[in-house]
Amino acid sequence: MKNFENLFAAWMIVWVVFFIYEISIARRMARLREDIESLKRQMRER
Amino acid sequence: MSAARAAGILLAKELRVEFRTRELLSATIVFALVVVVLFSFAFDPTAAESRRYGPGLLWISFLFAGSLMLNPSFARERTNDTMDALRMAPISPFAILSAKMLANFIFMSLVEVVLVPVFSVLYNVSLSGIVCRLVLVLALGTVGLTVAGTVFSAISSHARLRELLLPLLLLPILTPLLIGAVEATASLFVDQPELDRTWLALLAGFDIVFLTASWLLCDYLIEE
Amino acid sequence: MKARYASTIAVAVLIFFAGYAALFIAPDEKTMHAIQRIFYFHLPSWIAMFTALSVVFVANIAYLATRRSKWDSLGVSAAELAVVCCTIGLATGPLWAKPVWGIWWTWDARLTTTFILWLLYISYLLLRGLLDDPEKKAVFSAVFGIFAFLDAPLVYVSNRLWRTQHPQPVILGGNNSGLDPMIGKVLLLCVIAVMGLMILVLLDRYRLEQLRQEFDELRLEQEALALEPSSIGRERS
Repeated sequence: MKNFENLFAAWMIVWVVFFIYEISIARRMARLREDIESLKRQMRER
Repeated sequence: MSAARAAGILLAKELRVEFRTRELLSATIVFALVVVVLFSFAFDPTAAESRRYGPGLLWISFLFAGSLMLNPSFARERTNDTMDALRMAPISPFAILSAKMLANFIFMSLVEVVLVPVFSVLYNVSLSGIVCRLVLVLALGTVGLTVAGTVFSAISSHARLRELLLPLLLLPILTPLLIGAVEATASLFVDQPELDRTWLALLAGFDIVFLTASWLLCDYLIEE
Repeated sequence: MKARYASTIAVAVLIFFAGYAALFIAPDEKTMHAIQRIFYFHLPSWIAMFTALSVVFVANIAYLATRRSKWDSLGVSAAELAVVCCTIGLATGPLWAKPVWGIWWTWDARLTTTFILWLLYISYLLLRGLLDDPEKKAVFSAVFGIFAFLDAPLVYVSNRLWRTQHPQPVILGGNNSGLDPMIGKVLLLCVIAVMGLMILVLLDRYRLEQLRQEFDELRLEQEALALEPSSIGRERS
């Protein structure tokens, strides 16, 4: 198979880009959920 | 008060404000001249080279100068807090917007009136016989530039980094206009100048699309 | 969230089969051999991008018409996805072009238009970042988004006209080798797989945006509550 490196690189790009993006979303969501919980806790304590 | 009359009064105000100091106009003309001079270092301004690159350089200097000149259009209103007064007055948002567009068109045209003869002298491009057609191309291009520029000036005046944001928003949007204007101008800078209708149609189409869209969306642009 | 798990697994399976098909089942192209298989990821990412751009346009109009924040959330999510898919397309293209045409890039109508669209929607996201007030952010980015979408066909047409006047030395043939039906089937599978992936990530991004709004609303509520006790105390004394 000629030019297999480029093909592999392209395949990896598709995966890595989507993967990194999805991970960043998941992390932000987790952090937001934490913040929302702590806010709710603070409000209940008042 | 009819929208046209309101726009007329606002236009007179815009012109009066600028002609009191003429600072924006003079700064813009000098900036455009600087760009024209800088470009002379990019290529050798022989007659043949000038005809090839001249149209592009002319329009790029107008676009750069315009992006800087269009910023104060709405930014001035915000620093002086006159935007609220405009909004509360019984005039339609499109009157406000079109007054600014017209004012910017007049200012930009004044810049071009100075620049084009200077350009033709510095780069040895003859303007004889093509003046009327060149004016048509300049007018169509300037309409597109000022319509899109005024709209994005309104948007960016609310944001941070507005001096950087306006060119960032405006220049990619204006690429069809740039292509059309440069090609139309290039068709006039040849030995047998003949204005290419395709490009005129493209320019006119661009102007119509953007004018219509600004008219439809003007309410959202003027609101606080 | 059973639906969420089911759809994630479905998309993962699709991608596995699509990848396998693209790499092993699809017939080998006569002149380009292996490198042609990039096409099976490259074209679907364009299709995903244009779908995302259409979603942005619809969301922008819907927001201006209804002022409901869910449309704003959808708009920014789809815009980010469009930029992601465009980046993938712009990255995989040159990887294919260099071995096949010998050049990384060319300024033909399609590529130039795509590059400009990429810049436009990155500007859309930058604009949002530079506007602080949430309502202004939503309104002005919606207006800009509408202008950007209306500009896109103009960009393509102008570049096409320009390219017919200044033709390229490289002849850009279509990527379809045409005759083999298997290519069409594998391509369809890959398009569905990438679209599924795009929609899945889009929904996640949308949920993130909704969560952020919930947080902002809660924070406002908390600030309002924080003011109340002290003012009531002062009144009583």
